[in-house]
Amino acid sequence: MTRYLCSTAVALTASAFAAGSASAQSCEVNVGAVLSITGSMAAIGSAIGDAGQLAVDHFNAAGGVNGCDVNYILRDDQGSPNVGVDAAKTLVEIENVPVILGAIQSGISLPILSSVTVPAGVTQISCCSSAPSFTELAEEGGTDGYWFRTLPTDRPQAVVMATIAREKGYERIAVVHVNSDYGNSLAGNFEQAFEALGGEISSITPYNQEQASYRAEINRALQGEPDSLFLIAFPADGATAAREWISFGGSQNMLLSNALRAEEFVNAVGAQYLTEAVGIDNAQVEGESVEAFNASWEEQYDSDPSGPGLHTMYDAAAVALLAMEQAGEADGTAIRDNVREITGGDGEEVYPGPEGFAKAKELIAAGEPIRYVGATGPITFDDNGDVTGPYLTWGVEDGALVTLDTWDIERVNEAMAGVSEE
Amino acid sequence: MSGFGIYLVFFLIIALNYGIMVLGLNLQWGYTGLFNAGVVGFYAIGAYGTAILAGPDRAALIGGFGLPFPLAILGGMILCALAAIVVGLATLKLREEYLAIATFGIAITIQLVALNFESLTGGANGLVGLPRPFIDAFESTTSYNLFFLAVVACVTALVYVALEAAVRSPWGRLLNAVREDEVAARSLGKNIALIRLQAFVLGCTLIGLSGGIYVAFIGFVSPLDFLPILTFQIWAMLIVGGSGNNAGALLGAIVVWALWTMSGLAISRFSPVGFQNQAGAIQTMLIGLLIVSMLIFRPRGLIGERATVSSHKERGAP
Repeated sequence: MTRYLCSTAVALTASAFAAGSASAQSCEVNVGAVLSITGSMAAIGSAIGDAGQLAVDHFNAAGGVNGCDVNYILRDDQGSPNVGVDAAKTLVEIENVPVILGAIQSGISLPILSSVTVPAGVTQISCCSSAPSFTELAEEGGTDGYWFRTLPTDRPQAVVMATIAREKGYERIAVVHVNSDYGNSLAGNFEQAFEALGGEISSITPYNQEQASYRAEINRALQGEPDSLFLIAFPADGATAAREWISFGGSQNMLLSNALRAEEFVNAVGAQYLTEAVGIDNAQVEGESVEAFNASWEEQYDSDPSGPGLHTMYDAAAVALLAMEQAGEADGTAIRDNVREITGGDGEEVYPGPEGFAKAKELIAAGEPIRYVGATGPITFDDNGDVTGPYLTWGVEDGALVTLDTWDIERVNEAMAGVSEE
Repeated sequence: MSGFGIYLVFFLIIALNYGIMVLGLNLQWGYTGLFNAGVVGFYAIGAYGTAILAGPDRAALIGGFGLPFPLAILGGMILCALAAIVVGLATLKLREEYLAIATFGIAITIQLVALNFESLTGGANGLVGLPRPFIDAFESTTSYNLFFLAVVACVTALVYVALEAAVRSPWGRLLNAVREDEVAARSLGKNIALIRLQAFVLGCTLIGLSGGIYVAFIGFVSPLDFLPILTFQIWAMLIVGGSGNNAGALLGAIVVWALWTMSGLAISRFSPVGFQNQAGAIQTMLIGLLIVSMLIFRPRGLIGERATVSSHKERGAP
């Protein structure tokens, strides 16, 4: 057994020394990613890892960052915060990464942020963590500006939904939501927005995932005579809850969250019951820059880029690399300070892909401002590192999902202003 | 300090903190034979107790007492002890696997309470923005981490010395007696139920202490920190290190945690670009393989339990 231990120790020591010498000899910049390759999020994690790799490959094809090759180091967090924090610490201290991409789950991203990246002055950009706690922490100054996420938070979604509900004349709405950080925060934001617009919430009922029946929850939601329902759920559980809601005599005036935009949900509930329903989803699924990403993904991996987190992960990596190019150095604080330089503003638009990055590098070298329009469309980070995105609303007609309306960023911002003023 | 050195400090803080937890479990399983499969539940109580007592005041939350950290950790430990008394009174009549199932269920219940009792625990979002103790006194993160390591090492040493003294005392021999033969121990007029409860509560209190230190170091707590996998990790540490030996428990914590984390570092170094996705799976397999082979080659752990024939004989030996 001692032999096992010795060989492991030797290998580790050797690798530690190799790290020191490699970075001194050749010009390489390390970019770290902490994602769930195994564990509870493994089903989506490895494809998200590929999306980050694609962005790095594209950048290297365009000539690297600041003349150096970019080295993408992906570490597995096994779906556990303790492993993720440790992986992030090795990336920061041993691999000297100036930026960490990830993690997927908020419960892993946050301890990394509070115990590793912020104390070390390393920028952290997440593709997938949606919890409102990051906004709260950023407002208190707990992130020092090192935190960004390319995934739109759920507050704008809640505000748009509340606005639609008022436009449709709903007065008393019941909210049933999945008991997760996503569901809790969407429900909370919706309550705030709907009440600010003069509506009334009859009840908010959380449900736990993967139960055979939600009769108890639905009965509770039906009390207080609601005239409508906002269902925040994932397709399988959502269908169970919606069926029970309708069979117990609930109103067909239903609002549906983004995750329910699935054929599976419509078929399981029955399209005839959903004619009054309005759903919402992120509308970043079209546009020239999005097409550019989709095309190169299909070319590289020979599959549809349809999973969650792919577009946002690509953008997280691209934003980090462009900010590094703009800063002229691979330093966490410099990257933090340049992220907004290359996303907001009126600079010339650049798109995903090697050509787009090559163009961006030329413009930056010439001192021209650029604006990265990414795989998720235009990106603008607010003071807390959050992005606002465009939305679409969808409904069911003749048994099929159709798009009812689109909300571009201006319209979303208007709705947001309408809520905060009152 | 080199990058690897800085990382090593960080690693040791976490590993030694797990060591405290393994010492607690060792008291329960290694010395008394109580199969506690709910380690993570008491870890959660200690962590949340500390976070609620030390956290800043927030409108949406019940807690936020803003106590200084040493007091908050003490509070977390007391909460943990109280919970352990309740759980212990209810379950310690059960033996071996029945106790394991009961405590496992209790740990899951505690995690679900943390997930759902939003006004106290912040629900799925967790408790953010917890202050890091004494951070203002240090200029760099590195010196702060060194300080933290010194504190954790002192606490671990203190716990170790105290436990060593305890298990060598008559009370410690009583624990072993309960583990080896309850009927014989009872026939000597010992109160078995009380002794089992004492060992259980004391062990859980140490596990709670570890939870409090974790919160102080990380500055955040959420239900994701308390998945059942952690119970398995702690058990692996105890079995690999050597159940029934406090030094083994500490060594096991460091070795297993090193396997768990540094294997990822080594693999990410040696795996070619493009295969990094597979590296995660390889790491998980490697961890399992190494633990299994340790059990095959050293079934009693790295440092097994010392064979005690008689304390008089030990004293008489040169």
